[in-house]
Amino acid sequence: MLRTRTVRAAVAATVAAAVVAVLAACSPAASGASGGGAPAAASDVAPGEGATKIGVIAVGPRDDFGYNQAVHQGVEALRAEFPGIEVLDAYNIPEDDTAATTMESMVAQGATILFATSYGHLDAARQVAAAHPEVVVVHQGGLLDPAPPNMGTYFGSVYEPVYLAGIAAGAATRTGKLGYVYAIPIPQTLANINAFTLGARSVRPDATVTAVSTTSWCDPATQADRTASLLASGVDVMTQHQDCTKTVIEATEAAGAFTVGYHADASSLAPEGWLTGSEWDWGPLYTQIVRTAVAGDFVGSEFNGNYRAAMAGGENPFVASAFGPSVTDATKALVAAAAADLAAGGSPFTGPVLAQDGSVVVPEGETPSVDVIEQMDYFVEGVVGTVS
Amino acid sequence: MIIDILAGAVRGGTSIMYAGLGETVSERAGVVNLGTEGAMLVGALGGYAVTAGTGDPWIGVLGGALAGALLSLVHAVLVVSRGANQFASGLTLYFLALGVTALFGAGFVSRQINAFATVPVPVLSEIPGVGPVLFDHDPLVYVAYVAAPLVWWVLYRTRVGLLVRTAGERPQALQVHGYSVTAVRYGATVVGGALAGVAGSHLSIAYTNSWFENMVAGRGFIAVALVIFAMWNPLRIMAGAYLFGAALSLASVLQTAGVAVNQFALNLVPFVLTLAVLAVLGRRTLQAAPDELLRVFDSSRAA
Amino acid sequence: MSQGTRAGTQPVTQDAPAGVDPPPGPTSWPSRARSATAWLPGAARWAGALLAGLVVFSAFVAANGADPLAVLADIWTSTLTQPGQFQQIVLRAAPIALAGLAVVVPARAGLVNVGGEGQIVVGGIAAAGAAMWLTPFSSVGGVLAGMVVAAALAGAAWAGIAAALRLVVQVNEAVTTLLLNYVALYSMLFLILGPWKDPAALGQSTSVELVDSVKLPVFSGTSIHVGVVLAVVAAAAVWFALTRTSWGFRLTVVGGNAEAARRAGLPVVRLLLTALLIGGALAGLAGFLQLAGMEYKLRPTFGLTIGYVAFLASWLARHKPLPLLLTSFVLAAIAVSGNSLQIGSGLPAASVNILMGLLLVTVLGWTSARKERA
Repeated sequence: MLRTRTVRAAVAATVAAAVVAVLAACSPAASGASGGGAPAAASDVAPGEGATKIGVIAVGPRDDFGYNQAVHQGVEALRAEFPGIEVLDAYNIPEDDTAATTMESMVAQGATILFATSYGHLDAARQVAAAHPEVVVVHQGGLLDPAPPNMGTYFGSVYEPVYLAGIAAGAATRTGKLGYVYAIPIPQTLANINAFTLGARSVRPDATVTAVSTTSWCDPATQADRTASLLASGVDVMTQHQDCTKTVIEATEAAGAFTVGYHADASSLAPEGWLTGSEWDWGPLYTQIVRTAVAGDFVGSEFNGNYRAAMAGGENPFVASAFGPSVTDATKALVAAAAADLAAGGSPFTGPVLAQDGSVVVPEGETPSVDVIEQMDYFVEGVVGTVS
Repeated sequence: MIIDILAGAVRGGTSIMYAGLGETVSERAGVVNLGTEGAMLVGALGGYAVTAGTGDPWIGVLGGALAGALLSLVHAVLVVSRGANQFASGLTLYFLALGVTALFGAGFVSRQINAFATVPVPVLSEIPGVGPVLFDHDPLVYVAYVAAPLVWWVLYRTRVGLLVRTAGERPQALQVHGYSVTAVRYGATVVGGALAGVAGSHLSIAYTNSWFENMVAGRGFIAVALVIFAMWNPLRIMAGAYLFGAALSLASVLQTAGVAVNQFALNLVPFVLTLAVLAVLGRRTLQAAPDELLRVFDSSRAA
Repeated sequence: MSQGTRAGTQPVTQDAPAGVDPPPGPTSWPSRARSATAWLPGAARWAGALLAGLVVFSAFVAANGADPLAVLADIWTSTLTQPGQFQQIVLRAAPIALAGLAVVVPARAGLVNVGGEGQIVVGGIAAAGAAMWLTPFSSVGGVLAGMVVAAALAGAAWAGIAAALRLVVQVNEAVTTLLLNYVALYSMLFLILGPWKDPAALGQSTSVELVDSVKLPVFSGTSIHVGVVLAVVAAAAVWFALTRTSWGFRLTVVGGNAEAARRAGLPVVRLLLTALLIGGALAGLAGFLQLAGMEYKLRPTFGLTIGYVAFLASWLARHKPLPLLLTSFVLAAIAVSGNSLQIGSGLPAASVNILMGLLLVTVLGWTSARKERA
């Protein structure tokens, strides 16, 4: 009895000692790491200068007919543009500390320019940027205030082509009821829903947009349920803000309703009902960012902050998709006129804009800045649904 | 609006029903399979992949069933032959399925398939009210109408069903009569897994026409809970699955109608509903439970 | 008395009748300690299980068109040869170990707690809430103490719902804890997209970040926070409580044969209740650790999969607190390796779940002697 206890205690003590040893062992290892990192930071090389490896992380699969597929196409553009630079890309990286560890291992493999491409990767991107001043970290879609010298965010004015698509949708609807299947009420999504609604109501003043949430960026079964419910309520034009778009589009097509795409050209999924959509074309912007960083000019550049490309500059990476077969020339002319207005510096959100309850959110003649639009937390008049 | 909820209930409840029926068969023989969630996942991918390969969704369903059966076979080996803990084994297989489907599913995310389409039943689908709720769906929904009574009939009116139920109630009796408890439990677990595979296939090749990582999103776990509150009765599974479907669909219909309810609160409805029903039915369900299952559920039943 | 010692080391599974030999393995000390050679079959079995897991994993990888040897080499180099990765693993292992203890303690009493996932989330919510409310009034120590207490209480309360359902209406706790995970998750989403949303987060859906003073400090020169010690101390405390106190002894008796325990006059209900509540509290602490040491704010993916991985870790360790530290480390290493996996070989990160799953399949099935059914 006594003997058993002693043996047991001894084994336990051994295990405990091993754990302590493990813990102790990590501290020299770590100081070695930071020691290794320090010279690079202290040297005269600018962040990202002369990069030979680039790391890109995305939250979803590379072929989701959506947001992440667009990132993958951007990666392919980088590979074509910079044959001497290796691009490490990783998909399905969740928005938790996995993002940070993945970027850390990219840095460990020699990457000195990192693209974190999901909205929720921002904190991880900041963390990695802070730990590696020699690495340029850019984040797709977030906002920084202020941006550290080796970091920046970039995005397109997503709501601009969505507004144009709203015009096409408003012209196409017979019932006046449009459907919007969105994931989570983040400001970017709310801005899109609002822009879509404003676009539709600019040509069909009595149109309403019913916005329903799935509370997940990709849950196909919930998408299917939401879509069926919207279609049953008389919605005849469907659009969405989801990471995976296939389910909603195919269900809409099967029901004979019109589709407005998002993220990518999915007209092959809806040959009959495809109206138009908005899609990403990241290649040129990714290339520009990399070129700037490799040249050693990142710090202080336009990318070292919150870079937003808009149609006014003619370089919005978020562009209108091709029109489908049913879109009339009259509609195309309406869209073209609105596009010309945006290119000339106009905004979908130029006042007066009314909120759902009829109160004024943007007074007559005013145009909110991009920063304000990207922090939107309300629906405009004409949207059926509740934020939160 | 009521009709929309009911139609949504039937659509969304179908996969839960198949999974619940499978779990019922398995639990009737004394084997709890938390891996139902995993069997649905491999079933969803298997169904999708086979449909993509053959172009025929019916063969796809078979593929899904086979995938679910294979995963559950591992469960059977672990718990029946190796005496592993049933809950631990089930959850392990869920994890395994997550990984396997992520690995092999990556290539199928953007594949287009010839999926099941909605087939309105002639005449019946025209009946106001009843038509859209019951007779305007994909073929697997109609098969499910038959599946639940069929499983009930097999369990309660056939010799095979008697063997399955005896394995769950009095395994010694099986041995006395020269049957192998092991074989019966293997069979029930594998058939249960096949039904879960059909459930997954319904999600991927009939309901959503897509494959996506972790797309089952908890529906398999709901099915396991459903079996308890349906007291291991296939016909009650049918009713319970539609009730769940209604709870899921409620969120869609209320949002579509513009009713100001918090989205996350709506998401909670199916789960809270289940817990509430279990709390109310609690003791009554135990009386209906197969005896062998009680040993699994409840090593400290004396409490 | 010697009976009691044996019972105290017995694997607690639902269908293991009292008196069956403990499974061979590195952790079943009393009977194995009698001779050094008795360790061998157990160790061999474990090695075989690991090998089998790796072989099947390789087959899967090969079937997917990748070179399994390159992938394994990749996992090896990326996880074990880079110092930064090692710290990542330790950081990840800590909450897994704590949440694993939340499986260990109830398992001693024959209860299955699959609710770590949700208990971590409510622990995180409570800790974040405590930090939010206490920061204006209290010192740093007071805030941290408040966070710890709140997290533990919240985790315990969450497990308490399952305990109540188990003890009052006899609903199986594995099923209810599983369902409660989803309730916790959606409740957190409600908070961080609604009332707790950080208005200064520029649109990101997160709670307000903890102020720097209540973030757990790190060991100098490392990124490892002091909370890791909490996990080790908790494991030691649980080990002590289970093997050195009468409470632990009684708990194990209940887990072995509740009917006999009741006849012997043990307060079975109270023991089961405390086991689940303590388990929940430990998982709540894991939520605190994740918040104050790792993430600093609640976000939609807060604590994701830690509870499930911890469940596997506890079973790998056969519900023994000290080996649990090791299995938590191993599973954390596998999880971390997943990130680098796809950079090198383009396989989805979730592929490593295969490795975790296979590891446990082989360990559950083939590292113990076949248990006879009663």
